[in-house]
Amino acid sequence: MPRSLSPLSVPYRVLQRGGGLAVGLAFVLSGGVNLPFLGPAGPLVVLAVAGVAAVALVGYETAYVRRFSYELTADTLDIDSGVLSRRSREIPLRRIQNVDISRNVIQRLLGIAVVSFETAGGGETEAQLRYVTFEEAKRLQTELARLKRSASTDAEGSASGAADAGSVEPEPTELFALDRGELAILGALSVDLRVPGVLFLLVSTLGSTVVSTYLSAVPGAALVVVAGVLFVAVAAVSWIVGAAAAIVEYYDFKLVRSGDELQYERGLLQRYDGSIPFDKIQTLTVADNPLKRHFGYATLYIETAGYTPGSSTGSRGSEAAIPLAKRDHVLDLVEELEPVGDVDFERPPRRARRRYLVRSLGAVGVLTGLLYAADSLLSPSIPWWPPLLLVPLAILFAHATWRHRGHWLGEHHVVTRNGVLRRKTKIVPYYRIQTIIDSRSVFQRRLDLATVTIDTAGSLSLGGGDAAAVDVSGATADGLREELETRLGLAVDAYRVGRAGIGFEDEYGQNGAASEGGDDGSRDGDDSVVRNGDDSGENTPGDDAGDGRTSLSDGDADTP
Amino acid sequence: MNRLHPRIRLLWVGRSLLTAVVFAGVVFGVGRVVDPAWLPAWAPAAVLVAFGGLGSAFAVLRYRAWRFEVREDSLYLERGVLTKVRTVVPFVRIQHVDTSRSPTERLAGLASTVVYTAGSRGADVSVPGLTPGDADDLRERLKRLAIRSEGEDAV
Repeated sequence: MPRSLSPLSVPYRVLQRGGGLAVGLAFVLSGGVNLPFLGPAGPLVVLAVAGVAAVALVGYETAYVRRFSYELTADTLDIDSGVLSRRSREIPLRRIQNVDISRNVIQRLLGIAVVSFETAGGGETEAQLRYVTFEEAKRLQTELARLKRSASTDAEGSASGAADAGSVEPEPTELFALDRGELAILGALSVDLRVPGVLFLLVSTLGSTVVSTYLSAVPGAALVVVAGVLFVAVAAVSWIVGAAAAIVEYYDFKLVRSGDELQYERGLLQRYDGSIPFDKIQTLTVADNPLKRHFGYATLYIETAGYTPGSSTGSRGSEAAIPLAKRDHVLDLVEELEPVGDVDFERPPRRARRRYLVRSLGAVGVLTGLLYAADSLLSPSIPWWPPLLLVPLAILFAHATWRHRGHWLGEHHVVTRNGVLRRKTKIVPYYRIQTIIDSRSVFQRRLDLATVTIDTAGSLSLGGGDAAAVDVSGATADGLREELETRLGLAVDAYRVGRAGIGFEDEYGQNGAASEGGDDGSRDGDDSVVRNGDDSGENTPGDDAGDGRTSLSDGDADTP
Repeated sequence: MNRLHPRIRLLWVGRSLLTAVVFAGVVFGVGRVVDPAWLPAWAPAAVLVAFGGLGSAFAVLRYRAWRFEVREDSLYLERGVLTKVRTVVPFVRIQHVDTSRSPTERLAGLASTVVYTAGSRGADVSVPGLTPGDADDLRERLKRLAIRSEGEDAV
């Protein structure tokens, strides 16, 4: 049954489009712009033109909303839209990965929302409804999830026997909710590092003359004090901005597990209701920084294949599943999503520390050199020795870099850990591995070291977030390459016969038949994994291959 | 292990010479227009020789370093002069394979085979310096291997 957009869409759309027009109009009318050629009746003419434009806009938007219709059928989402040029779309449901809802403050007041339909592996939203009521948006979310579930159990065929496995609504279980205390701590532990960059840009372009005259009037020692004060001020501003951004983004964050997907809600000004289907998950990342580590907190990111709705950090393809929680809590959730087990990291060989030492001492040297150059070129005498005070810190940092680095080959995952100030522990299931890259720079070759990077689909976020075993010995790298390739092959085989999948509780070596009991979604996880069946973890056309695999797994599932 | 076609060296040397000419031209232009005192008259020529020589040496070394092999379950590549990179692309991960010929490649009578995966970094792994026939053969071979690796259970 076709449905329409909410009637409130008309005034909202008009206001949105017409907002700019109204501002321009006010500006012109208040005399900001001189229009002599219109004569004494100038303002009236402008008003008349604006009036006509407004009426046209209202008319257009009303027509658009009235002529927009959408329908969620058993296999497709049909959308008919357009006023002057009509567009009729039928999007197969299996292409739609999830339904995301977003509402800003005004939209929440009006009770409307934007619904975005996302496809797998895409960089864009496939379709959007602007605007429907929030209840309708929620209905679409649950309806789509239900239709996809029943579609996959139908495709599974007679082997399951129980047709009502698909029609049973999975019980959503709340996995995590961010309380006020944790939100406050999250704010306190977030620093926006873009602020220093922007400030530096501003100062260097606008304030350079001011700064140079000021510099010449201040004696050298006081300059260091001034620099120190400035540094503290910039740090404070970065902290405040970072805290505000974090609080706005993760206000009232909730994470719920429902069937074969995770559902989350978050946001203060812009509210998002989205989902992370299990079969879209590529990598789990546990992230922390020294502050968080000290207080025992951590953050969990889930990297997915494809696009996720905007967050202020601009993370593409990654969603914070747990913005901040006690480390144990985070690891418990990780264990629930992916049974990693106890991780025993293998550190790089000790000679790798030489590299880090050279790097950090080199940075100190560069800083000293810069100050020395400034000292000799500029008139006030700038002490060039303060950076040398950082040498002990540099040595400690080099050691810490080595200490926090490690990798581990688990039974079903490879885990890597890197970083000190932004430490990331990445968990990659073997069946999510795309390509394996072993690279050795000139310096690494001298020390017989190598870096093995594990490429996955969707590591476009968090600033180059590939899992990598960095600076391992050459022999270890050779072994890793082979081992990862072998295990990928085994994992792919296991995946195909339906014994693997995130959230699938009876996975890995259990009897396929035993898993057919179908308790809350484990079977569904199996089905969607097998049916989507694409080993890259994304949906691609070519369902013929998919169906072929499904029927094969039916046969295989009988053999333990 | 397979190596690239020797003619790729010509292509790479040509490219680096072109870059050298461009750089020399820039230095020459700067010398003519701005004419800073410290820029010697032989600077453009020196730039040309330096960049050209370095570039050519690099091209030859690159050719020497390039290896590829179609293994049992994956495509294996070795390349790189300063940083040696070894890439393993499992067949099961290959989304599709293309052959491509840029204008300079067509001049040299060569082609490349490009392998696409879903990964963000190794998304296009390309083997340059193949004859068009070899490039097509490699593409077909990889395509068949990729398809076969999908349905291996089909006895």
